[in-house]
Amino acid sequence: MADALTRSMRASHVLAAVLVVASLGFAAFGAASGDTFYLRLGTEALIFAGLALSVDILLGYTGLLSLGQALYFGLGAYLSALVLMVTPSFWAAMGATAIGAVVVGTIGGFIANRVRGVYFALITFGMAQVIAKVVYNTRALGASDGLIGVPVIDINLGLFKISSASPVGFFLVVLTFIIILYALAAYLLDTPFGRLLIALRANERRVPFLGYRTVTARLAAYVIAAVIAALSGALYPMLRGFVSPELLFFATSGNAVITVVTGGVGTLVGALYGSILLTLFKSVVGSYTEHHLIVIGLLFMGAVIFLPRGLMGIVRPVIERRLNRGAKS
Amino acid sequence: MMTAAIEYFQFVLAPQILIGLVLGVAVILVALGLTIIFGLLDVINMSHGEFYALGAFIALALASVGLPFWLLLLLVPLIMLPVGYIVERGLIQRVFHSGERHVTTLLLTFGLGLVMEDAFRLVFGPNPQKPPVPIAGAIDVFGVFLPLYRLFLILGGAAVVALVALVVYRTRLGAMVRAAAFDRHMAASLGVPVQHVYAGAFAFGVALAGLAGVMLAPIYSVFPTMGRDFILMAFTVVIVGGMGSIAGVVVAGLLLTQVQAISSLYISPVWSDPIVFGIMVIMLMVRPQGLFGRLGHG
Repeated sequence: MADALTRSMRASHVLAAVLVVASLGFAAFGAASGDTFYLRLGTEALIFAGLALSVDILLGYTGLLSLGQALYFGLGAYLSALVLMVTPSFWAAMGATAIGAVVVGTIGGFIANRVRGVYFALITFGMAQVIAKVVYNTRALGASDGLIGVPVIDINLGLFKISSASPVGFFLVVLTFIIILYALAAYLLDTPFGRLLIALRANERRVPFLGYRTVTARLAAYVIAAVIAALSGALYPMLRGFVSPELLFFATSGNAVITVVTGGVGTLVGALYGSILLTLFKSVVGSYTEHHLIVIGLLFMGAVIFLPRGLMGIVRPVIERRLNRGAKS
Repeated sequence: MMTAAIEYFQFVLAPQILIGLVLGVAVILVALGLTIIFGLLDVINMSHGEFYALGAFIALALASVGLPFWLLLLLVPLIMLPVGYIVERGLIQRVFHSGERHVTTLLLTFGLGLVMEDAFRLVFGPNPQKPPVPIAGAIDVFGVFLPLYRLFLILGGAAVVALVALVVYRTRLGAMVRAAAFDRHMAASLGVPVQHVYAGAFAFGVALAGLAGVMLAPIYSVFPTMGRDFILMAFTVVIVGGMGSIAGVVVAGLLLTQVQAISSLYISPVWSDPIVFGIMVIMLMVRPQGLFGRLGHG
């Protein structure tokens, strides 16, 4: 018998499937009309959805608000750009990023997990700010210009190759990749380990009495989130051909938090929808006024006050009821 | 040998210490409001840097209609008080009672900061504006060149800190604030109007940020993102000093800015941020409550 969490995650999966179908339709339409701009925009939205996913793992499950997830996103982007400039291989870049993220994530996790609550938010904020400043001032990493001239690569998928320069091809690669990350996160959080994280969020003091080590669980969640953020970031230079220190700035971390909170904390799929809606929204409002931050900020504040469970808080229960009715009949 | 040491002090070390001192007072003024708000309301005010900028912008606007700087020092905090009061009652109280208060209030003030920053850009334009320095001239302090306004800033900053400490620790109002910070239910049942104390403390903290904006504008100039430069340092100071501690803010503020100023003599200034942050991390590891305890606790 499935419990409440599994049932609501099933609703999330339905929503994810809807997203995939809609994205495939979008890709087909884009390919048919020879569009580049919107396909690239959609790809970017999906890449930032990966970053938001990592914030949701921390905030929605462990209950830890990270204000510095851009650190890992930027780490992935820089590592991937550096690797691609030496050897134009997708898998080498991804492999290097994964290893780098595990190493840096473990160090960062040791530092950040010393503390809880607001201190955790502030320390992650501080770590990202410091690293951003160092990168911004390091000549070898291109300083304020970032790294320019990341080559176009052919992504070897075994049976066939897709060029990162092909708008629709790369869109599909990123879509597949982000959905895999989503599925992986959803799977992990459905295991006993995931339940342990939820228990941490509910009451961290009680968990050790049940015989679990809280430190390792929190560290593991932190490292997983770091790897997901970094792998999403690694896709960025393949799309844009450059990386800039802005990727490490607080605006990037803040955007990911806004995405998750408006999309729906603790739903995973909310991060994906949130990112797409936010990107779409920015490009629509941005075409009228350059002051889209006012509008986004106000909407975000509205979401915090009136929709504590985000957009998914409205949509998901409806799907859930449908699913339950289907299961009963 | 002796003269070399004196000359080193006079021309290298002392000016750097003075620069650090001015920055220290600036950081303390910004962090003071932050720590009071945290100590009492348990709220991390992510928009604090924007309130600091708001103070500077209000001062700029009022100065352009001809009001003198000295009047602004009084007027701007008075204008900020009702603003802070309304923000606390109208926005923060709405999410204050949720289970994850830390996260929700932090998110809300973060959103508010975004809106404010963009609003500044809309109203005042993105370019830095520098108000004239109210006191011209400079003096010689033990052979060290010190602009008069910076001297005023150091003394004025010290006076503000002393005044705040006096209010918090020596008046009936301050006693109510400390009581509400220690145990709000007990304070409420003893007749302390906790709701108003909360809103008032938030307004007070925001007014302090505004005052800092007025005082620092002639040195660091006024632009929409000016709050960002200070906010990380201010948070670090609050954490190292102890969330909600006034003495902690002063000690940590002076200490960290001196570390930053003096270390940048010997190593690239790029690394002074990691050093300051490293101190914060070590502090959190060995003494998470900071140098001094919380407001109203001990």
